[in-house]
Amino acid sequence: MPKAAAEKILGRAAGKSVAAGDIVWPDPDLVTVHDYYVKNFAAALDSLGVSRVFDPDRVLISTDHEPVAVTQDGANRQKLVREIAERYGINRFYDAGRGGLGHVFPIEDGLVWPGQLVLGYDTHVTNFGAVGSLGIALVVEISEVMATGTVWVKVPETVRVDLRGQLSRGVSIRDVAQKLISILSADQVDYAVVEFGGPGLAGIGIEGRMTLCNTPCELGAKSALVEVDDLALEYLRARIERPIEPLNSDPDCRYSFRSEVDLSEIVPQVAVPPMPDLAHDVGELIGKRIHHAFIGSCASGMLQDLRDAATTLKGKKVHPSVRMYVTPASQRIAAAAAREGLLEIFVEAGAMITAPGCGVCAGGRIGPLADGEVSINTGTRNDFGRLGSEHAEIYLASPMTVAASAVAGAISDPRELVEDMT
Amino acid sequence: MNWVYEGRCWKFADNLGIDSDIMPLRFALARETRPEVLREHVMEAIEPEFHRKVAPGDIIVAGKRFGQGNPHIYGFIGIHALGLGLVVESIPRGSYRNAINAGLPFLPRCPDVLAEVSEGDQLRVNFTTGEFSNVTRGSTRTYDPLDASLLEIIAAGGWEPTLRRKLNPTTEAM
Repeated sequence: MPKAAAEKILGRAAGKSVAAGDIVWPDPDLVTVHDYYVKNFAAALDSLGVSRVFDPDRVLISTDHEPVAVTQDGANRQKLVREIAERYGINRFYDAGRGGLGHVFPIEDGLVWPGQLVLGYDTHVTNFGAVGSLGIALVVEISEVMATGTVWVKVPETVRVDLRGQLSRGVSIRDVAQKLISILSADQVDYAVVEFGGPGLAGIGIEGRMTLCNTPCELGAKSALVEVDDLALEYLRARIERPIEPLNSDPDCRYSFRSEVDLSEIVPQVAVPPMPDLAHDVGELIGKRIHHAFIGSCASGMLQDLRDAATTLKGKKVHPSVRMYVTPASQRIAAAAAREGLLEIFVEAGAMITAPGCGVCAGGRIGPLADGEVSINTGTRNDFGRLGSEHAEIYLASPMTVAASAVAGAISDPRELVEDMT
Repeated sequence: MNWVYEGRCWKFADNLGIDSDIMPLRFALARETRPEVLREHVMEAIEPEFHRKVAPGDIIVAGKRFGQGNPHIYGFIGIHALGLGLVVESIPRGSYRNAINAGLPFLPRCPDVLAEVSEGDQLRVNFTTGEFSNVTRGSTRTYDPLDASLLEIIAAGGWEPTLRRKLNPTTEAM
């Protein structure tokens, strides 16, 4: 019977043929946990009387939510994370200043590959779908995986999204990702894997594919996958020595729902509080005064995002009433941004560069919002209270829209600035 | 374990929030896991004193996206502690897992079930077969039950007892 990629990946990990709806106990290839949850899973293992993790070589820990400890608690937590990583013999421990954001650098470092099953604590482990790896978030049940090496997983249905056409000037893949979750309904994607394919994919790099795979979970999707194509294979071969065997969906497999997006029709999107899927065309929000801007996160902190923002900011100044933060997602991205002169553009414009990782998006632990303030940023969520004050508003947009708005001091259409430059 | 629940229907709408309608957020923030505490606050935002009105065996019948929001388990611990069963049109994956983890028998996908019931109807639900009878109306429908492997977790009392048994079969058996 023809199968969807998610069924093939879970079937491989479960050692048998599976179909959507089955309950399986798969053997994961990688398990990821971030700095804030490490002490919780260690405490859970202690309470269960378990003294070791199922396989230390398949566990990855990243210190990304608070890489520069900004409180005494943060420093104590980092110390504890180091002790726990050592106690369990976890070699893939990326301490502060090493890898960066755990949903991004493992892809750059070749730890993520097609057909792989990754079980993670954090919701945005779905980014790994950019190279055909199925990332499933478990939250607290990650402790069961750490103790036993598995947990029950329901094999999801697959929703197929075909992309065609090319992005217009001043529009980025983030706009597509936001528009898509505003078009799809929660009922359509509930418990499903959202799979991207189609001819439009050829124009979207691996970083942009991470952005596509990042947002469907906000709507209740279990995960997201991008069809592995030549572009992905080339990216992977530069990073991975092991044989690469893509597990793409069979052409005649069954999808629970299909949708198509014409990239050329997408215009800049701004999601209004309090949900990321409340996306509007930027034109509806132009002129809304802002105080705070941020470029970064696992959705949009990649090199191309920094390029987009820098191109928009070049030779301009951040508005006097706006403070702006830029956080490269990984150490590698920070180094590349330095080589390309992007960091210089940000600094000269009056923006602040922060340590690689989640940046402001990790609950506003750095650069939070005060009462009555308005932020426009490229983070993942815009719930009230997400970045400090519950009486602050968060708008989500592409790096170009955020940068253009930071210059104007109000929500702006980046296409106007882009046209200025030509 | 008894898988057949017989009792009164408590009917609720779509989109009940896990941290608002089903259980006040403060219990999640406090990491309160005691069933005897949580049971007294189930649905209180919608139906004050709900815990005094229900009897074990009663059934909550709700619409789409039951327990939407951050995947917190506390509301499901409370429902389980009241001895109630749960029948919903749909349930997001975080809450689906948490209902199982709390040991709560439920039917996760019952399209249009709200049209099958009125508040106060007498219901009989078999959670292993998915047979759903409205005794008051004299109607019966069959929905997909949970997978047998998940029913085992529920029968064992939820996530933690199941995991402890799995990790240490001998001591847990003693």
